[in-house]
Amino acid sequence: MSDGAGPSTPSRKRSRWDIDEENDQLEQPQPQPVKRRSKTKSTKTSPAPEQAQHPAATHTELQRTSTVHKRPPHSVFVPPRTLHPPLMPSRSVYCYERLNSIEEGSYGVVFRARDKVTGDIVALKKLKLDEEKNGFPITALREINSLMVCKHENVVGIREVVVGDTLTQVFIVMDFIEHDLKTLLTTMPAPFLQSEVKTLMLQLLSAVAHCHERWILHRDLKTSNLLMNNRGTIKVADFGLARRYGDPVGVGGLTQLVVTLWYRAPEILLGATKYSTAIDMWSVGCIFAELLLKEPLFLAKGEIELLSMIFKLLGPPTPHSWPEYQTLPLAKSISLPPPQLPQLRQKFPHITAAGVDLMSRLLTYDPEMRISAVDALKHPYFSESPLPKHPDLFSSFPSAAAGEKRRKPYESPSAPVRAADHKLLTDFDP
Amino acid sequence: MSTSLYPLASLPQIEKTPSREDGIPGDLEEDLRAYGCKLIHEAGILLKQKQVAVATAQILFQRFWFATSMKQFGIGDIGMGALYLASKLEECPVRIRDLVNVYDLLLQRKAHIRAQAVASSLASTSSSTPSWSELKYTPMSYFGNTFYDLKEAVVVAEMQILKRLGFNLTVVLPYNTLVNYLRVLGLTSREDVCTKAWGYLNDAPSVEARLQTPVYALYSVPTIVCAAILLTTRHLGIALPSAPENCWWELFDAEWEDLSSVCGWIMRLYRERSLEDHTRVMGMVAKKGVRQWLEEHRSVGGEVR
Ligand SMILES: Nc1ncnc2c1ncn2[C@@H]1O[C@H](COP(=O)(O)OP(=O)(O)O)[C@@H](O)[C@H]1O
Ligand SMILES: [Mg+2]
Repeated sequence: MSDGAGPSTPSRKRSRWDIDEENDQLEQPQPQPVKRRSKTKSTKTSPAPEQAQHPAATHTELQRTSTVHKRPPHSVFVPPRTLHPPLMPSRSVYCYERLNSIEEGSYGVVFRARDKVTGDIVALKKLKLDEEKNGFPITALREINSLMVCKHENVVGIREVVVGDTLTQVFIVMDFIEHDLKTLLTTMPAPFLQSEVKTLMLQLLSAVAHCHERWILHRDLKTSNLLMNNRGTIKVADFGLARRYGDPVGVGGLTQLVVTLWYRAPEILLGATKYSTAIDMWSVGCIFAELLLKEPLFLAKGEIELLSMIFKLLGPPTPHSWPEYQTLPLAKSISLPPPQLPQLRQKFPHITAAGVDLMSRLLTYDPEMRISAVDALKHPYFSESPLPKHPDLFSSFPSAAAGEKRRKPYESPSAPVRAADHKLLTDFDP
Repeated sequence: MSTSLYPLASLPQIEKTPSREDGIPGDLEEDLRAYGCKLIHEAGILLKQKQVAVATAQILFQRFWFATSMKQFGIGDIGMGALYLASKLEECPVRIRDLVNVYDLLLQRKAHIRAQAVASSLASTSSSTPSWSELKYTPMSYFGNTFYDLKEAVVVAEMQILKRLGFNLTVVLPYNTLVNYLRVLGLTSREDVCTKAWGYLNDAPSVEARLQTPVYALYSVPTIVCAAILLTTRHLGIALPSAPENCWWELFDAEWEDLSSVCGWIMRLYRERSLEDHTRVMGMVAKKGVRQWLEEHRSVGGEVR
């Protein structure tokens, strides 16, 4: 089984991509012959290089051009053959030059890197594959597959998957995005404006709607998994917990070990093993609140504390607001506090009634009643004044991920710029 | 409705597959592909695996041979790896142990049948009566070397499939498209049409053979579905508009040349094969057999047939 390595590359002393290697000597791996390779992913935007590569992609292509009778253009559901990517092996991680490490997450390590050929700056996420007895981990497969299936303006773009010297080195190559929303929220001097929150929410909702339409649950939506570039565009990232729904679920149902505590929907907290798109929508509600508050909505230390915070903010569930409550596995072990009115209005004094309404539809107890991403996109909150701000008008921030230093808050030019933006906004027609 | 773009083999990959580069003749490669798919299908049945996982595995398996030569990997190992991987993709993972056992059983059974066939063909030339015996299957030990070797082979094969296909495992199965097209053509009420077209998608009126041709790695799903409908309607004598300026397949953006090519692939699966052809592929489930064959046929020189 050992001749699987293919045409073997001369052995390298040590991989620059070994995580534990810290000395940054200038020892470069041998330059690889630049493969003739039209990047698979680029075909969507520019079909031209693809066509150049297969001058006659099928035998019929030639005849097709000579056929005289006119055909209507291809339907969007039947893209021409030339738009399909060819079968391409993974490239080597040595096609990239490692820059700085961005963050060590729970699941992998993320680096900033440069494509040696195009010079593009990208993010590489190293997947944790060691100690695997069962081959390639299903979670990593889901992560890669979800990213490929859910391509969207507001989902972080996957470019390719590259491999290192050993079978345990696999990296997801993504577009590099300057910020994550968590860091941004904690370092930005002033909270987002209403108009900005609306733009970000619309982007988030359209990404989530897109994933749900493709039968993918994200299952870990939270601000640290939302990236934002300097052009005011949000990208949903980290599909490390994503999975398809609608599949018959195996013994034991879906795992409850999903979604970071603060963003976890009540049905999961109460032990439901059947859950669906609504769990992502609860998280979206928590993110909405966080964008307005500049801090997480439910800063709980444990599940019980989280539940009581939820009960306090929304009032405890009633048979009317959540008919299935009593049937959930953990409901019996929880004593509900006395009935009480929701506190959403008091918690968010600065948003309109429509804003509170959207929030309460996202933070709805009954998952059946909770608003869907598609419906939330149509909510009146987004069409009342102030209107969503055009992404181009967002001010930019120094990127911690790119290793840029933040200027001291008070030197920040962003405040006056913001005021100017506000003026622009009033006569801006989206 | 997902419109994600699944990969297809490029023209250079189609014209000269890696196996042909290595001197494996086209018809042998075709037979080995078909046989590998058949093993996947049979293993899927024994494992009670979902049909979608089996079909996905067969498509990944077919794609793999546009990226790699059969001299480098055996169709048995890659078949196991593809089924293992596809089962994860379809959220119905199988245990390596079960998979390895099923393949081992299948291969022992095939070897037995092959030995019997060879014996009886010898017997028919001489005058002695052939003696058929039952296969005595000896399950392997979980701690023996065979088990560990096979287990390792599955993991390696899975990783090779991933790497050589660039981790792009997008597979679109044809079944929804078939239902839609039949509906558009007003054929859903004809049960015989539905059954037969379904069979052609799986390449087979016979239950044995399914998805055994590389068409899913070569053509888009709408084209393949149209080909299945074409074969079906021709076979059942159903007339659909086929005049040049008004033919039904153009409704679905398919090209006549592609359709006839897909039909060709499917029908070629049913060409007569001799006993030698059959036993030949059975002996080449592992790459060792392929290499040995190449070795034996090299002396002939040039392109061997
Ligand atoms: N494409 C990217 N561009 C820039 N930074 C990224 C990118 N992807 C991830 N990061 C950074 O790395 C962190 C961890 O990545 P993530 O995919 O969330 O991994 P984990 O599963 O370990 O949480 C993110 O919070 C973000 O700060
Ligand atoms: Mg994360």
